[in-house]
Amino acid sequence: MKTIYLCDSSIEGVLSGVYTAWASRKGHDNVKLRLKDDGATMELFSQYEEVPVDSLKADKVITAIRNKISEEAYEVVYKAALSNDMERADKIYRFLIYGFPVGAGVVSMLQNQAVYDMFQMCRFVDNETHLLTGFVRFTEMEGDLLVGRIGPKNDVIVLLAPHFADRLSGENWVLYDVNRKKAVLHPAYRHWYLTDFLPSDWEDKIVKTSVEDEYEDLFKRFRKSISIKERTNPICQLNHMPLRYRPYMPEFSQGLRDI
Amino acid sequence: MLIQESLSVQEKLEILSDAAKYDVACTSSGVDRKGKAGTIGNASKAGICHSFSADGRCISLLKILFTNQCIYDCKYCINRSSNDVVRTAFTPEEVCQLTIQFYRRNYIEGLFLSSGVLTSADYTMDLIYQTLKKLRQEYHFHGYIHVKAIPGADPLLIEKTGFLADRMSINLELPTAEGLKKLAPGKNRDKILKPMKQIQNGIVTNRFELMEYKKAPAFVPAGQSTQMIVGATPENDYQMMMVAEALYKNYDLKRVFYSAFVPVNQDSSLPALPGGPPLLREHRLYQADWLMRFYGFQAEELLSEDRPNFNVLLDPKCDWALRHLEQFPVEVNRADYFTLLRVPGMGVKSVKRIITARRSGILDFEALKKMGVVLKRAHYFITCSGRMMYPVKIEEDYISRHLVGEERRSVWDISSSNTYRQLSLFDDTSLSTQVNSGGIVV
Repeated sequence: MKTIYLCDSSIEGVLSGVYTAWASRKGHDNVKLRLKDDGATMELFSQYEEVPVDSLKADKVITAIRNKISEEAYEVVYKAALSNDMERADKIYRFLIYGFPVGAGVVSMLQNQAVYDMFQMCRFVDNETHLLTGFVRFTEMEGDLLVGRIGPKNDVIVLLAPHFADRLSGENWVLYDVNRKKAVLHPAYRHWYLTDFLPSDWEDKIVKTSVEDEYEDLFKRFRKSISIKERTNPICQLNHMPLRYRPYMPEFSQGLRDI
Repeated sequence: MLIQESLSVQEKLEILSDAAKYDVACTSSGVDRKGKAGTIGNASKAGICHSFSADGRCISLLKILFTNQCIYDCKYCINRSSNDVVRTAFTPEEVCQLTIQFYRRNYIEGLFLSSGVLTSADYTMDLIYQTLKKLRQEYHFHGYIHVKAIPGADPLLIEKTGFLADRMSINLELPTAEGLKKLAPGKNRDKILKPMKQIQNGIVTNRFELMEYKKAPAFVPAGQSTQMIVGATPENDYQMMMVAEALYKNYDLKRVFYSAFVPVNQDSSLPALPGGPPLLREHRLYQADWLMRFYGFQAEELLSEDRPNFNVLLDPKCDWALRHLEQFPVEVNRADYFTLLRVPGMGVKSVKRIITARRSGILDFEALKKMGVVLKRAHYFITCSGRMMYPVKIEEDYISRHLVGEERRSVWDISSSNTYRQLSLFDDTSLSTQVNSGGIVV
């Protein structure tokens, strides 16, 4: 009978699941990892077991990956854990089964399905992070505060934070993930931190400095006048900047398309 | 000339960004620079696009002219001195404020500052220099700056500006000296190439300085670029590519940009383009440009005196491969890096993945697909463990017939983007693929 381990969707949760499944010694083919909240139907002829988050177990797995595979492999696992793939827990598990005996070379062995799955998840996470470094928009709030809102598919906020901390080190800013209700806070000249304990009405409490930001308007005008009419190409624009990013950008406040 | 003194910043921005839009270079790439305490901004090597305008081009930098007043009368340019348009100019203060405020809100990656020539080349270059100096030293801006060198300006001014900018560019505008003489009577080739050489020498000298003293200020760290207009003069693609190649070799340019000619002025010496700007030609030139910079191709391999223009129906790489079928098929599990790079359907990334992956096992076609190889183009030219994917005749006519069928749709998309298509039941080879992908015929 198959045992299905249900783990929490955080990286610690997934890695605790990996540890528990491995340590159960039931054989890799007889165990499977799933996320608690993946919304998939239950399987017949299998027993379910919930895995509590245990940072000690997760740490053990991390140390093992770094020492026995490589630092790069840990990065791959970390990014995959941030992806929105509902089967990521099991995919990470299968990758590690294959990775421990092979060692450092495993990350480039794309011909293997387990490695390829990880590669795909990482690619999606990396691409979304890169796009968002450009598409994040900060709004000026009262009290010298910049607030940016994003709605990414993957949990990329921790990957974005270092970029903006380096760039806007002298500013107070907040980057808020609307889908996961968590935020990165950055006080000026200090280190940033991640929090998901936000009062539900925090957004109502801060006020925009002015109803019509002068520079928001200037940027809208700039975007319009920089475009060459003879070359209009909405499909090309759509390919580079998918619609799902646009609701968070002030230049599309009047509509998601330019034409 | 109508010079408006009392325009608001909004109006100035509209006029001066509209006048700058025909400059293509909007890249923020080429330099990696960490942020510094007390300053605002950093730069990332890959470049970051912040938005995309309705024409699908990226908005990475705040692309503006300092002024659109100009003493020259270049026939292709919207700011030519004989044009009756509203003329205005920013103040250095306004440029700095715009840059910083846009940057804080993450609208842009930096500043792209160009200018019409006001009074004289030196005077204009000095204005640009003063603006950059203010932005870097008073506003502590640490992000990306791309600046135009004004042809004919004092070398000392160009050098001083180069230490403040990340990338400098001087537009060649037209590939041949005759073309330049005809359309830009105030400029000559010498005036353009001289500062280009100066910047190149500056970069080389600076590289040695940086080797000795790590703290030496960097001179144009992201390199220089230039731009050529496509289709304003009768030069063919072969001439364009030869010029571009010479620029890459002799001037160490980072990029040559190609800009499809958009007729903004009515002039008897300019061509009429009833079909819109030559976008497909521009696209082919960019494809060939990439082949030269990343794939190890020479301009003369792609084109020659006898065949001076690119094939409309096939991309330059497929076209080259079809004329050199004696070199194919190549064995994916053994061929070296540069041989693989020449296979249509394989790019730099996929070839690198192949090279590392095949160390740990033999690759088959399924694996190639995972690496990102476009098999529908590549499969005519490769074998995996001695086998081809399908039984294919290595014969020019047979392969080109198949490749052209796939390419036709994208060619059509590029060359006629603004018109509607008449639905036809016959002679439409790509109809079946369109219906498969969602049942909608575009």
